[in-house]
Amino acid sequence: MTASPALLSLRNITKRYPAVVANDNICLEVHANSIHAVLGENGAGKSTLMKLVYGLIESDSGELYWQGQRVELRNPAAARKLGIGMVFQHFSLFETLSVVENISLTIAGSRQVLSQKIIDIGERFQLKVNPDASVHSLSVGERQRVEIIRCLLQDLKLLILDEPTSVLPPQHISALFEALRKLRDSGVAILFISHKLEEIRDLCDTATVLRGGKVAGSINPARASTQELATLMIGHEVAGVNTGSNAQTSSNSQSSDHALLQLNAVTVSSDDPFGTSLHDINLQVNSGEIVGIAGVSGNGQKELSRLISGEQMEKHLPAESIKMIGQPVTRLGAAERRALGFAFVPEERLGRGAVPVMSLAKNTLLTTFYQGMLSQGFIRGGKLKRYTDECIEKFDVRCGGAQAMAGSLSGGNLQKFIIGRELMLSPRLLFVAQPTWGVDIGAATAIRQRLIDLRNTGIGILIVSEELEELFEVTDRIHVINSGRLSPSLTTAEVTPNDIGEYMISHNQRGSHGDNSNTGDGHAV
Amino acid sequence: MQFKLDRRERASRRMLLLTPLLAVLLSVITSSLLLLILNKPVGSTLHSFFIAPFENFYSITEVFLKFGPLLLIAQALAVGFRAKVWNIGAEGQMIIGAIAASSVPVYFVDSTSGWLLPAMIALGAAGGMSWAAIAAWLKTRFNANEILVTLMLTSIALQLLYYLLLGPWKDPMGFNFPQTVMFQNEALFSPLFSGVRLNTSIIIPIIFTVAVWLFMERHFGGFKLVVGGLAPQAATYAGFSAKKAVWVSLLLAGFAAGLAGMSEVAGPIGQLQRSVTSGYGYSAIIVAYLGALNPVGIVFAAFFVAVLQIGGDVALVSANLPISAVHVFQGLLLIFYLATYTLVNYQIRPLRHASSSTTEGQPT
Amino acid sequence: MNRMSKALAAIVTAGCMFGTAQADTLEIGVLLPSPIADVGWSHALNEGIAAVVEKYGDKVNVSTIENIQEGPDADRIMNKMIGDGHEFLLLGSFGYMNAGLKLAQRNPERTFLHASGYKTAKNFSPFTAKYYEGAYLMGMAAAELTKTKKLGVVSAFAIPELISTINGFTLGARSIDPDITVDVIWINSWFDPAKAQDSAKALLAGGADILFSNAQDTPSVVTVGEEAGAYVFNLNSSMKEYAPTKYLGVVKTDWAPFFVASVDAHLAGTFEGANEWLGMDDDVVVVEDWSSDISSDMMTRIQAMHEEIASGARHVYDGPLVNQAGEEVIPTGQRLEDGAILGMDWHVEGVNSPLPK
Repeated sequence: MTASPALLSLRNITKRYPAVVANDNICLEVHANSIHAVLGENGAGKSTLMKLVYGLIESDSGELYWQGQRVELRNPAAARKLGIGMVFQHFSLFETLSVVENISLTIAGSRQVLSQKIIDIGERFQLKVNPDASVHSLSVGERQRVEIIRCLLQDLKLLILDEPTSVLPPQHISALFEALRKLRDSGVAILFISHKLEEIRDLCDTATVLRGGKVAGSINPARASTQELATLMIGHEVAGVNTGSNAQTSSNSQSSDHALLQLNAVTVSSDDPFGTSLHDINLQVNSGEIVGIAGVSGNGQKELSRLISGEQMEKHLPAESIKMIGQPVTRLGAAERRALGFAFVPEERLGRGAVPVMSLAKNTLLTTFYQGMLSQGFIRGGKLKRYTDECIEKFDVRCGGAQAMAGSLSGGNLQKFIIGRELMLSPRLLFVAQPTWGVDIGAATAIRQRLIDLRNTGIGILIVSEELEELFEVTDRIHVINSGRLSPSLTTAEVTPNDIGEYMISHNQRGSHGDNSNTGDGHAV
Repeated sequence: MQFKLDRRERASRRMLLLTPLLAVLLSVITSSLLLLILNKPVGSTLHSFFIAPFENFYSITEVFLKFGPLLLIAQALAVGFRAKVWNIGAEGQMIIGAIAASSVPVYFVDSTSGWLLPAMIALGAAGGMSWAAIAAWLKTRFNANEILVTLMLTSIALQLLYYLLLGPWKDPMGFNFPQTVMFQNEALFSPLFSGVRLNTSIIIPIIFTVAVWLFMERHFGGFKLVVGGLAPQAATYAGFSAKKAVWVSLLLAGFAAGLAGMSEVAGPIGQLQRSVTSGYGYSAIIVAYLGALNPVGIVFAAFFVAVLQIGGDVALVSANLPISAVHVFQGLLLIFYLATYTLVNYQIRPLRHASSSTTEGQPT
Repeated sequence: MNRMSKALAAIVTAGCMFGTAQADTLEIGVLLPSPIADVGWSHALNEGIAAVVEKYGDKVNVSTIENIQEGPDADRIMNKMIGDGHEFLLLGSFGYMNAGLKLAQRNPERTFLHASGYKTAKNFSPFTAKYYEGAYLMGMAAAELTKTKKLGVVSAFAIPELISTINGFTLGARSIDPDITVDVIWINSWFDPAKAQDSAKALLAGGADILFSNAQDTPSVVTVGEEAGAYVFNLNSSMKEYAPTKYLGVVKTDWAPFFVASVDAHLAGTFEGANEWLGMDDDVVVVEDWSSDISSDMMTRIQAMHEEIASGARHVYDGPLVNQAGEEVIPTGQRLEDGAILGMDWHVEGVNSPLPK
């Protein structure tokens, strides 16, 4: 490390919330020319700490030093002035505006000048993006680049990235890392929040591990083993996922006797100008297997999910196009499909899988109402509460009880709640989108283990995930979705991540959105 | 000293209760200042507004006469507003309800049947619902904005009323005046006490309130509507039909507004005439929001607005206040309510010591 | 419970006591359908009341409430006026009729004057002006000044009072030139400036070159006339300032004599409810502010006709009268009965627009 004072130094930072001490006496030093990981489980206090650094919230006690000077960051504008930039997990871009228009909202300068700067930065740091492209046409990876570029366009000294890789395919993770290394070498310090240990070992120079709001330790990740890091993070050793026995994995039976979900040559054109059309989708999920759908986000996953869940009904399709548990369901709605023994965990937890401002009990009612929760249309409060309590207990949902608002739960806990709620329906066919997105390693392991256990009991499971590691860990077969087309079924045991990656980005299939025309590099991630 | 508005970590229950009181207080202060400028006596005007409506039995019954339709319509509108279905046309639905109900005494002028009133109730409700159904159909079929549709349907309803009054339904003995015959007693609700206009129709809003409360708080149907309003994607995910929510919200409002219109023509008015709504359809929107869209809150809000309107009438006569001043006061109240409602979700802090988060302050 | 009912009884008694008559000053309550403003119907009524105040000074106390839409709220306000001890009520709109009559029957010792209605009680007098008399004279003047031989009327409601006014106007014009026709637009409002203006423009576009603002409480039509260069006249009070060059005149109502007489009668205890139908001979209908563009020859003829009508020698509705369908309603030598005028629901020949049914 350098001898000059640290770029950013946090001393004894404490931040209390009514229910919890989010940051307890935290000390942390970030130096220029380094990539500094902040590791920790959900609820460990990572995000709170980053918000403190970015001026979104203020600490209750403790001090913040910038280049050796004591500073008070009252708002993000003050932080930005110092040269601190932050890229959130959820991007703040206007979809209907172009890249350069989005950037010109916060950065002064004519469109022309900004466009040139965007191109220059893109070349210098390998963050290529077409300044005139509309944001809605960009992939998640490209949007992330726009966010990073926006930070770089102001005199950036410290870049904070909140779980940046959770949305990227493997090929592009390495591209992002290349860009981040270039940034570091140009003098920028990077605070990298993640729970993916392998990445941190690969990328970061220093790692600070948070646990329960406190610093659990600081180590050089390159020298520590993944196991060491994980132990530091959750306080005890983590077990790997036990795949158990699965009679059907090897046989890989496609017999329709066991088919729980069948999509037969489904073609749906999207009426949403920002949507993706689905072309000739053939998909089958059998009892006792886990089928994964890999792909870069924005290639039709959303449309496919909604089609399978029944949220989007395509009544013009032939009745037999979608079959579920032996029955044609093309013309059945979401609730009717659920009644057949189908359960679904959507990608968005708040606002789709759960209503933020409603209690967990009320959120339980969303998908369980046909399970005897109603008596002549009136809600049976007692029964609902028992179900909710059971779900909270069985799935280790950390919350203030059945009456806690869904929005008050951390992302991981809410995911546990939603998965628990759906599993307790005892489905025969389970569909999970992004099962562990933003969930910490401990919880993610538990969720994956549960999926495998369920499979072993004969349930058919479909998973849409952008995390390849996860798919390799749990699935029996994998399809790759690309531009609304589904690859042939690939037996997980027989393919490598790079094979999958080829399908993800293969140009002969790649279009911008919806149509099949190749729009070139500007859109290919 | 500068201040900033900070989002609260959770909505303040205390402020939720204080907000209406604060709004009333602020509007009283502001209108007192206006009265001073107008050189009107502040004391006696405030007396007219808040005390006079309770000073004698007749006034009290008049308060309840106004309370009824306000309560009825506001309860139904609030259901729709919670489902984010913006029905601004309760006024028109009320007019059609009044028209439909009036068809009975207009066509059966001499009937003294006991079925007159029940038939009018049924037709009034059906009339209001059918008018609302037009908006629901246009919304679900063509995604036509219900705000505009319901508002414009109100104008159409008014023209239909004028047409009937000037043409086919005109009182043949009425010298071409735009009004129908006076209804026979059998077509009218009976007064609760002799000499007052408050009548048995007051039972309708009361029953309706209980039903709405049960529906919204205990029934799955209400739950579905609220989910649809709060998180449309969650409603789709759960398989709740958004179209059904539009239909339920609008039909319920049409039902209530139609009944309200019916109760007016079969109550204090006693005939169909050019002005049958007294603006209830619009005032009820204020009442619904003043009551925080909550069935219990709306009871208080409807009572309060009724007092305010009776008080306004008293102020017209006794304090010699112009009618515009009354409207100004009522408008102030709504504006202050909406302004202070911000404090339920936000708090004002001096900028210097700002310390709470501006976004969700969740530890993660 | 007992205490409660006692309290209730006390409240009721207090309310009743509050309603009893007050000594010395006569409390007069006036309820008007539109803002008093500077012109129009409510203004004219208010002027009449001003004459009462002028005569009685401190002995009367007038509360005027303007801009009250007919309906349950108006009923309540009338009730409140009674409750506050008003002894003499002036109800300024036909829509106040049913509720007003009920109050009159319940309060036989008080006096009610009701504008434009047709129901009568011992203490309840409807009053109407014979506008048609003045309108006839205006028709004569219009006939001389029109070039297109088409006259336009913007009218409020198709009630007998306004129908007979339009008919009077038409008869007056056709007495000079039988080729003249009249277009009517009913806007179904006493006060709707935008609609009145649009209608006036529509009439001009349809070929009319003289406008008649029939019972409009807004100078909108008059203004349109001035701007378009079309002669224009109206009822109730002068709007000359809105059309300084194109003002044909006004069929004014001067309610002062009638109001003063009614108050006199009330105080003397001799008030008798009756259908008060007042015209030029009562000095209630006054035609003035004549345009200087009318030839002196025509003015002489108008003056002569004025005297004939006021004296009763001649009646606007003397036969022959022919309706729109061309059928003779009243033959030569006969006169339309008062009742038929008060309930008039047909137009005379020469009015183009059909009467809304």
